[in-house]
Amino acid sequence: MGKQLIIAVSREFGSGGHEIADILAKKFNIPIYDNNLLTEIANSKNLDVDTLEKYDEKPKNIFLSRSVRGYSNSLSEVLAQMQFDYIRELANKGESFVIVGRCAETVLKNHPALVSIFVLADKESKITRVSKHNDISRSEAESLINMQNKKRKTYHNRYCEDKWGDSRNYDVCVNSAKLGIERTADILEEYIKEFAQ
Amino acid sequence: MVAQILAVTIFVAMFVLIVIDKIERQYITLGCGVITLVVVFGLCMHSVTAITDTLNIHSIFTRTFWYTGGAAEESSSGINWATIIFVAGMMVMVEGMARVGFFRWLCMRIAKLVHYKTMAIFMTFMIMSAVLSMFIDSITVILFLAAVTVELSQLLKFNPVPMILSEIFCANLGGSATMCGDPPNIIIGTSLGYSFADFITNTGLIALVALVAVLVYFYFVFHSELSASNGENVDISSLPDPKEAIKDKKGFAISCIIFATAVVLLITHAMTGLTVAFIGLFIALVTIITAPKHIHEIVSKVDYKTLLFFIGLFVVVGGLEQTGILEIAANFIGKISGGNAMLMVAIIIWLSAFASAFVDNIPFAATMIPIIKALAATEGVSLSTLAWALSMGTDIGGSATPIGASANVVGTSVAAKAGHPIGWGLYCKKVVPATILVLVISTVGIFVRYF
Repeated sequence: MGKQLIIAVSREFGSGGHEIADILAKKFNIPIYDNNLLTEIANSKNLDVDTLEKYDEKPKNIFLSRSVRGYSNSLSEVLAQMQFDYIRELANKGESFVIVGRCAETVLKNHPALVSIFVLADKESKITRVSKHNDISRSEAESLINMQNKKRKTYHNRYCEDKWGDSRNYDVCVNSAKLGIERTADILEEYIKEFAQ
Repeated sequence: MVAQILAVTIFVAMFVLIVIDKIERQYITLGCGVITLVVVFGLCMHSVTAITDTLNIHSIFTRTFWYTGGAAEESSSGINWATIIFVAGMMVMVEGMARVGFFRWLCMRIAKLVHYKTMAIFMTFMIMSAVLSMFIDSITVILFLAAVTVELSQLLKFNPVPMILSEIFCANLGGSATMCGDPPNIIIGTSLGYSFADFITNTGLIALVALVAVLVYFYFVFHSELSASNGENVDISSLPDPKEAIKDKKGFAISCIIFATAVVLLITHAMTGLTVAFIGLFIALVTIITAPKHIHEIVSKVDYKTLLFFIGLFVVVGGLEQTGILEIAANFIGKISGGNAMLMVAIIIWLSAFASAFVDNIPFAATMIPIIKALAATEGVSLSTLAWALSMGTDIGGSATPIGASANVVGTSVAAKAGHPIGWGLYCKKVVPATILVLVISTVGIFVRYF
């Protein structure tokens, strides 16, 4: 496609947001970046991806790191900034892509090609999905959902002024449980097509 | 009693908030400073004198604040305006030097002089880090040195981590050698009335011996790792010319003259009677006057946040001083050392080092100064000996961990941004032995020379 398009997908754990992002990437025939962003960064800078993965999306340890004149020696913070810079670089180069998480809706906030989406789902639907997908009990699934969502929220809110999941921070907030993953992706596709024209 | 409890509570809250790092540290110290003034001095002590003594503004308008006529500078409590003005002045000078490309030029020039041999760069950069840090704040030194090290490591294909770790350590060590090298020393010097010459002939000598030991230590620790790539297969002609680093030739020459003037003024200030506050202000004015087109650029880059941090910090420590808490702490140290001066010195060095490894060494040094003053008065120990012990303890102890001193944070951050994360394990494994080595040298040096 000719016109640049960036789709930033944030999601609740268990909402199927990642699957929706995958579908959108296929529909628009553009690359998707999620955990593979680290591999991209490691390859471009000739670094060891395993070393980077150790610090990815980890909360900052306040007792083991400090900031001086804007320089932080929290490795998770430095890695987060490296990812934000890389996302900006891709966007500034005019590339089209789908990006999952990584605070992309805030990092690229004023970029004209950006559509930001937040995918949520009903609690029941998330539990069923996570329990089936991971082959675990419902109570285990619920704990996992709570833990993962807390982690995502903490990571996001550390680097962004606007809060994680706050509807004012995204172009579209959608409950994937109402129509299912495929239909939600179809509707988002329509919305994005309209935007891209 | 209530005032004492409140002063301690505010002090502890300040430290906790600094560690948590959620609020910028200058707001923390200023906020705690205001609470100290209003609640401790105003509401609890009803003491206007405590407020005016701590704010200490009147000191700026005395002749001895700017010129001592050869006598030792007067010591005072509360906000140490001499430190603030001196640090601000040096910041202006350093920004002026950075603008014209001085630091990058110096690093590239030295690398070229040693024909881009990895081991030679490693050794010379350690020495350069120590020497520059004697006169310039270690953050700036490491910022430029680490950045050039990363750049050279990419060109010459070596691992920059050993070099950055050694540069950080030597920057902290070099800072301990002079009165203006490290913030704790500036505070110690201006608070207790010691001159540049006092520091260089006391902590400076210890730092020199320690530097030799540290060069040997790091050579053996990193030799095999760095020797593997000694720049043999690199086409030197493809490397950047040091001259390219100079952004403004005229400005560069002026910056070199200003820097040399600052060094001469600092070395001779005990003889000329010019105080560090005067030197700081003079150097800042000359820097600004000689670069009229760049005043905004230079002044806007000055780290005013650190200056505000200092102001708030001095007020909070003033709260502890005015309420007599620090005297109690001094009595406690005196008691556990049983009046043994050598034990007292050992406690101060090693306690300061341990504390500075984990908390910011600036507030720690500021807090310890009234304590060593009280110890000297009550236990009859030489104040200068305690001051050198405090200086070496805080400056060197700060090297031990990635968060102990500002240079460590900046250096490890630059390395991580370039894709070379330095975790606590790696950092401490290489640097803690060096820290212990220098602390032992400092302790033995002080024992041998002063007892």
